[in-house]
Amino acid sequence: MPRYNWPLLPEILRTLFNRPITVQYPFGPLEMPERYRGRVDIQAEKCRGCGLCVRDCPASALELERVDKETFRLIYHPDRCAYCGQCEESCRFDSIYLTNDFVPGTPHRENLTTVLVDRKPEEGEESGGDDEPA
Amino acid sequence: MTRVTIPIGPQHPLLKEPLSFLLTVEGEEVMESVLRLGYVHRGIERLCQERTYVQNIPLIERVCGICSHVHTTTYCQGVEALSGLEVPPRGLYLRALMCEMERIHSHLLWLGVLSKNMGFDTIFMYAWRDREIVLDIMEELSGGRVSHAVNVVGGVRIDLDEEHARSILTRFDVLEQQVERALELIEYEPTLMARTQGVGILSPEQVRRYCVVGPVARASGVDIDLRRDLPRPPYDRLEFKVITHPAGDVWARTLVRVRETRESLHLCRQIIAQLPDGPTSVTAKRRVPEGEVVSRSEAPRGEVIYYIRSDDSDKPARLKIRTPTMTALITLPDQLRGATMADVPVVLSGVDLCIACADR
Repeated sequence: MPRYNWPLLPEILRTLFNRPITVQYPFGPLEMPERYRGRVDIQAEKCRGCGLCVRDCPASALELERVDKETFRLIYHPDRCAYCGQCEESCRFDSIYLTNDFVPGTPHRENLTTVLVDRKPEEGEESGGDDEPA
Repeated sequence: MTRVTIPIGPQHPLLKEPLSFLLTVEGEEVMESVLRLGYVHRGIERLCQERTYVQNIPLIERVCGICSHVHTTTYCQGVEALSGLEVPPRGLYLRALMCEMERIHSHLLWLGVLSKNMGFDTIFMYAWRDREIVLDIMEELSGGRVSHAVNVVGGVRIDLDEEHARSILTRFDVLEQQVERALELIEYEPTLMARTQGVGILSPEQVRRYCVVGPVARASGVDIDLRRDLPRPPYDRLEFKVITHPAGDVWARTLVRVRETRESLHLCRQIIAQLPDGPTSVTAKRRVPEGEVVSRSEAPRGEVIYYIRSDDSDKPARLKIRTPTMTALITLPDQLRGATMADVPVVLSGVDLCIACADR
């Protein structure tokens, strides 16, 4: 036995005076939550090149090119990345982390590849890591 | 009258995922239906054997796009049992919190899909609008709307501070109001009742014969719920009702699911109120000792079963996933027999199909 025939009516009237709840992106800003799992970044000076993140990455998005203990490159492929955060979980030196910056689409996936760490042995400096894009 | 065979799927506006039906109709009445599966088979079970236990977690999360968290929970439960790990209580509570929020999100999504399929777009819009509340909370907590990446073997990655918990509870109040309104709507809206009552009936005998689980079974009056029947912590300390309905039709399933959403909200509140202090996870070893385990959990669609066999290495020797959708799918030919063509969308969406789950 229906209490009233138009149970939707109050909701419709209420919604009439509400602002749209959709986001105006890309015409307006899009704020991501603090913990949002986006592009991977690194504090290069903390990286020891242990390769734990590479070993645990489920999507093979990280690549370690190692010449010797002092010389190595950590390469990141965002096009393969699953944004699961396992690298951050696995890192022992709190070096690699996920930013809350989402990766927009690109027509050329090879442009996305970034060199996170490019470590070369340098005289006079103990940990000479720098963060240069490819 | 001549019989006509109509294909529905694998690509069809009615289906959100690829699944194929061959319906033989006589006039408007469906006489026979043949189900074809396997369009989204990705070989996840085999892939899992090639990867380490750690790498498997993000992979298993992608078995299902809606109930991703409960899959990793079940998997982690199994691996933890094999390695003899004791998860800290705070970790278990946070896991359960995510599980319950996922249930809310899944049921509201389903309500939207059902109403969309029967042409009631208003409810679809409202249900998906309300679902955003819980999706936002999950995104804030875990960093992802549907792939949460919360579980690790040995606990969870996330933590919840008091301020955040307060803000979540305020938004739960809003959500509860909306769910109450949705419930009122379903109980009294004549259009919805006309479309769903007496459609897709499953008797309790059929439910038992096909081993149907979850809300579909509960809507046929079969009182099963793993959260109560196999109470793992923290569910043994939480109070909730198992919702059942005797009717067995799509309307009963709608009622059961929306009432369950309300129960899940109560559960979330209890979990946040009782949240114990302490660490959220323990460190797990990479190698898992030899053994085999069956791990079960109550997913939004019913019981999900994981079988894991380990061989003292860092990769599982065998992993088998039984998803609840599989049991619901095989009842569809029975439900469709005798239905009219216009009822087919309602019947198909009524059981809450997740084809990606079923195909794996």
